[in-house]
Amino acid sequence: MRVGFWRSAGLIALRDLRVEIRSGEALTVVFPFAVVASWVAPLATNASPLLLRDLAAPVYWLITLLFGMMVVLRQTAVETRAQRRALALTGLDPAARFAGRSGASGLVLAAVAGTLVIPVIIFYDYRPPSGAWLMALVILLAAAGLAMLGTLAGDVTIGLRARTSLAPLLMAPLAVPLLMGAAQSLESLVAGKSIITWVLVLVIADLGLAAAGVMSARALEEISL
Amino acid sequence: MPIHSKRVSRPPDFQPVSSDLPLVDLVDVSVSLGGAPVLSKCRLTLDPGESLGVAGPNGAGKSTLLGVVATFITPTGGSGTVLGALLAGPRTPAVRSQIGWSGHLPALYPDLTLGENLALAARLTGHPVSRGRKVLTQVGLGAAAGIRAERCSNGMLRRADLARLLIGSPRLVLLDEPDAGLDQDAAAIIDHLITRTTRRDGAVLCVSHDAARLSGWVDRVVEMREGRIV
Amino acid sequence: MKKRLLAVLSGVALGVGLILAFTSPPDLLQGDFVRILYIHVPSAWLAFLAFGVTAAGSIGWLFTRRMSWDRAAEASAEIGVLFTAIALATGMIWGKPVWGTYWDWGDARLATTAMMFFVYLGYLALRRTTTDPRLRARRSSVLGAVAVVQVPLVYFSVKLWRTLHQGLTIRPDGIQMDGAMVAALMANLAAFTLLYATLLIYRTALARIEEAAASERAPARSPVTVPRLGEAEA
Repeated sequence: MRVGFWRSAGLIALRDLRVEIRSGEALTVVFPFAVVASWVAPLATNASPLLLRDLAAPVYWLITLLFGMMVVLRQTAVETRAQRRALALTGLDPAARFAGRSGASGLVLAAVAGTLVIPVIIFYDYRPPSGAWLMALVILLAAAGLAMLGTLAGDVTIGLRARTSLAPLLMAPLAVPLLMGAAQSLESLVAGKSIITWVLVLVIADLGLAAAGVMSARALEEISL
Repeated sequence: MPIHSKRVSRPPDFQPVSSDLPLVDLVDVSVSLGGAPVLSKCRLTLDPGESLGVAGPNGAGKSTLLGVVATFITPTGGSGTVLGALLAGPRTPAVRSQIGWSGHLPALYPDLTLGENLALAARLTGHPVSRGRKVLTQVGLGAAAGIRAERCSNGMLRRADLARLLIGSPRLVLLDEPDAGLDQDAAAIIDHLITRTTRRDGAVLCVSHDAARLSGWVDRVVEMREGRIV
Repeated sequence: MKKRLLAVLSGVALGVGLILAFTSPPDLLQGDFVRILYIHVPSAWLAFLAFGVTAAGSIGWLFTRRMSWDRAAEASAEIGVLFTAIALATGMIWGKPVWGTYWDWGDARLATTAMMFFVYLGYLALRRTTTDPRLRARRSSVLGAVAVVQVPLVYFSVKLWRTLHQGLTIRPDGIQMDGAMVAALMANLAAFTLLYATLLIYRTALARIEEAAASERAPARSPVTVPRLGEAEA
């Protein structure tokens, strides 16, 4: 009685989302922390309103990257060894586990990143460009990539005591294409130019990460058992 | 203990096990961690319908042995098959789905209720959600289905973890100190699990530090000391 | 014996390379600054080669589970990180007089090289966290195999950027070269490659010794014994 790939991935994603709704680590802890960070940055620079408006977009993406890592690597989403073993013995395809976990993290991350736009508008007097749905698409693509990258980094460092610092170290430099694609899309949107090239960069990065996650899933499962 | 050298050289792909072949067949299996031997040259055969206990002091390598049989730990030496699949080969999900395992820490998600935990295990193995509720009732936790795992006592968690193994009917059941934290009533669950498995031509491997307790559950008990089966 | 011969050979080759680097003609525009090229380019090449070998070692380990593959991957990554650092440092030193700044944020290759450097620093950090050689190999082989995508990214970054950004300024690597300069560069590339082979062989040998020493230190018996509670009080 084997369960199909997408169905088992969906079950894993539902489990992670349910745990997140109960524990609220991402939405009630990481998100407020991110808002505080976006509020502290102008304080520290003592910047003029004009400069602040220029800073808004880069600060937004930086905070999304840093706090996105905290969302994906959140402690409540870490499975214990016993849980991982029991999961493996259900006959779960490791690639489906990767898909489910990244999917859930991606949704949570997109929610956090999407809501973060509000404090940036308030504190930086930022005027978002027209084309809100294009911006939502960019945030969604970046969130998906960050979620997959974080799931991979979290799995590589599973069970290590230095995990909380090591996983972000592995993740941050590899997130550069995502960050660039997202930031440049937004910039092109503001300038009224076509954003297709940069959206393509995001899509290619996402596809590459998905391929890496699926192909390494079995080897990574071995580490975790 | 018979050594089936022919079987060891079979291709690594999964083959369904016919009823007369052993479910577990370890030949001189060794495991070392950081250069230190944890298991050395262990031989073990488990035939269909058989239940075996492994007793030994702390640090004897009992849990590692269980981990090897469960396909969690790759041996550093020796060879063997579990449910027809080579230990050194890729662990196909098809083999793993026929193994039931309960370790000394319960595999439950603290943020989910007992009912949700068992429902997830049921749905992932292709059973209806109602199956999860049924096995909870079987282990005497029918009224506790709505309680989050983090608020449950250790004994309740152990019961719920054993209930996981009752969802399907695994051919191979592996138990690590299964009675730790269980009361007398609950210990009957282990009895039930073992007879249920062996009656269906499955096999049970159970490890514990308490040889006397083990002999009450299984057909035969072997002893382990310093990584060896003696 | 072979190891020592290789070491001597690479020493001689480096000497020849150095002489050629100092006797080659100065550049029309850059003058003597161009001589950094003879360290900078071979270092970058070595980094690519080293990370390629790390990926090959990682993939080799994943397929064969032979520890020698993993040792080669580790040794090569260490050498790669060292030479990436040298390439970055020499690039910055070169950049100051030629471009007027140490760090040019508009330069794609500089940015991607730094990114590659950080990723492999992370790879080495990951290796340090696990002491058991097999577990360490399992963990790092996945990263070692995935991280190599950085190499083509760095290499083609100059081209890739052009399709996105219009009008990249001309970089020193694009300048036409004199025959003697090409010869000096080739000699140094060969010398650095020899140096890489030497370092790789010595470092893998060292890793083998380290592993053997670690397994000797490991207790041969179970560390848990029967408690002797009566003795302590006596």
